[in-house]
Amino acid sequence: MKKRRNPNALKIALFLAPVLVLFAAFFAYPFVFTIAASLTKWRGIGAMRFIGFGNFGKLLGDQTFRLAIRNNVVWALASGFVQVPLAVLVALILAREPRGWKVLRTVYFLPNVISTVALAMVWTAMYNPQYGALNGLRELLGLEARNWLGDPATALPAVILQGVLYIGYFMIIILAAAMNIPRELYEAAEIDGATTLQQEFRITLPMLRGSIVTAMTLAMAYGMRHFEATYLMTGGGPAYSTTTMGIDLFLKMDALRYSEASAAGVILIVLGTVVIVGIRRLLGRTDPMAEAGQ
Amino acid sequence: MKASIRRTLAVAAIALFALPAMLAAQSGEIVLKWPCIWVGKDSKAPAIAEIVDSFNKANAGKIRVEVEPQPDYNAYEQKVRTSLAAGVAPGDIFTLKLNATTKEFYGSKYIMDLTKDFSGSWKASFDSGAVAQSTIDGKLKTLPFETAVLPIWYNMDAMRKAGVSAPPATMPELWTALDKLKASGIYPMSQMTGDTNAWTSMIWFSHFAVSFGGAKVWEKPFTDKAFVESAKLMQRIFKDYTTPDAVGAGAGVSGGHFLAGRTAIFSNGPWYAGRADLRATAFFPSVTIAAAPPAGSTKGVMISRLQANVAAGETKDKNRRAAIVSFLKYLTAPENISKLAQGSGAMFAVKSGYVPTDALQKQFYDIAAASKTTANDLEAALGSEATLEFAQQLGALVLGNITPEQFCALVEKKIDR
Repeated sequence: MKKRRNPNALKIALFLAPVLVLFAAFFAYPFVFTIAASLTKWRGIGAMRFIGFGNFGKLLGDQTFRLAIRNNVVWALASGFVQVPLAVLVALILAREPRGWKVLRTVYFLPNVISTVALAMVWTAMYNPQYGALNGLRELLGLEARNWLGDPATALPAVILQGVLYIGYFMIIILAAAMNIPRELYEAAEIDGATTLQQEFRITLPMLRGSIVTAMTLAMAYGMRHFEATYLMTGGGPAYSTTTMGIDLFLKMDALRYSEASAAGVILIVLGTVVIVGIRRLLGRTDPMAEAGQ
Repeated sequence: MKASIRRTLAVAAIALFALPAMLAAQSGEIVLKWPCIWVGKDSKAPAIAEIVDSFNKANAGKIRVEVEPQPDYNAYEQKVRTSLAAGVAPGDIFTLKLNATTKEFYGSKYIMDLTKDFSGSWKASFDSGAVAQSTIDGKLKTLPFETAVLPIWYNMDAMRKAGVSAPPATMPELWTALDKLKASGIYPMSQMTGDTNAWTSMIWFSHFAVSFGGAKVWEKPFTDKAFVESAKLMQRIFKDYTTPDAVGAGAGVSGGHFLAGRTAIFSNGPWYAGRADLRATAFFPSVTIAAAPPAGSTKGVMISRLQANVAAGETKDKNRRAAIVSFLKYLTAPENISKLAQGSGAMFAVKSGYVPTDALQKQFYDIAAASKTTANDLEAALGSEATLEFAQQLGALVLGNITPEQFCALVEKKIDR
């Protein structure tokens, strides 16, 4: 049977063309170039020399890069399993529309519109061993001041803490979904004598599964590519204790090791994909909200 | 929107953006783009603006230099790196810090080779040592421009208050001075492990290493005794004589302590002397600079570096090339270098005959003249990757997580020989 040509094919192609051109120029080409460069020896100047998987072997044998991978995994876990649950908790409370909930919603979201640089500077000041607010509290408790960002034992938890506290973005995603849960379900549960806690566990959380998995995926993907705040607060130090793959990649470019930086980029993409697929497989069962809508 | 309004806007846009370029092209004027870091609040900005203005006036209708402001130095370095990697020159004129890493740029076909142009009186006006440092495999692709000596700075008001009357000339004198400063209730020294080079501490380490191993110490393996002994000294300084935030601190924090009078001893280059916030301090008139006390047997060597070299984008157009060389000659003319030195306090690789009148600036010139020879600092000698490792592992060293021997072995691994 002869296939009928879509009469809108030209229009569809025209509408898709801009985004396809942008996608090709700013994603597909750089992506292919990065993979190609990762298989060469290239310092940014002159011709590339093909060396196979040498850069990958070198990177995986490098203690600093392995530390960066470990730190990214810690970041991803903290983002997915601390930041998102905190966001869920706040969203559940705000979804009950307590007094002043709109103000609180804005307050929690506010840090997301403030620049990372400004936030990093604020936290660097708070962690300052001499004048920081945190050490001020310790002094009040009769404890000795600590150099939070200068001690390899505390530097990573310190930078992660400042990151996971900003829950606003995920809270908004989950709150929006929570507000869409049909009220009738709660009314029915109340008639059946369910407590508020039971309603949250038996209705809200199952209905939010899809949004929570989305939030966790986004949070963990961000954790895997984390760069800005840590670079600004510690530069990856001391002794690489806070370094991440993104920082390592950036510093390799600084040292004109473009091919190794490209290999680091490829590993970052692969690990990020593994984490995203893993989290979707692990938690991403059918979304009850979607089912309810069908 | 009415068609007439749209037409008017389009014409205005063309007039605004395209016409000047079209007119310049028609008139035969050569426009040279200079992405420049010496803009805004930079101490060299006023003199650079004046030099560019006077060049443009003298060459009106023929050559025009357009400065593209690039006030963020890190971003500027990235621009230079990525432009060259992407296969374009960062500008017709641009600058870079020539060190063991950036010497790779000499392999780029997008940077003009100035070897043949650099001759006669132009060449004679430059410091021959700086020219030699900038010549790689017989090619001069960047002109040595700004240079720096990196001595130790003393707040003599604080030192005198602690009972120290002069900068320490020996290591025992240094330890005594540090103890006295500490006893007087001040943190003796600014130190740091942050940023990509642990700048302030890297200068101290470089002084120690050169004193232990001589001016050519950087050619030795980093596991050499000279470096291990220097690492031990750094450990002692961090343990007893610096601020609690030194591990992890960046250059801003380190310098900030000195400016605020929280520390009495600091290290940096001559450009810091031009800072308004330093000049506003009550202790500024007392600031004295000196070589670090010799920790080893080598004396009279000053730590120095090429702070900025000027380069040009390669072009096949002979007229454009001539215009670029003409501007470079003008920029590095002794009278213009004097102007720059006077306004900024910086030091240059051109023999300008400039005699500083400012007391602190004069100290830099005196100290450079008094040194028997100079040696590069660690970053200039070993490049970015080794310096980053130095900075990162310095934190582990001074916290006692690794030994000086382990510290040196880790840095050695990152040196690209």
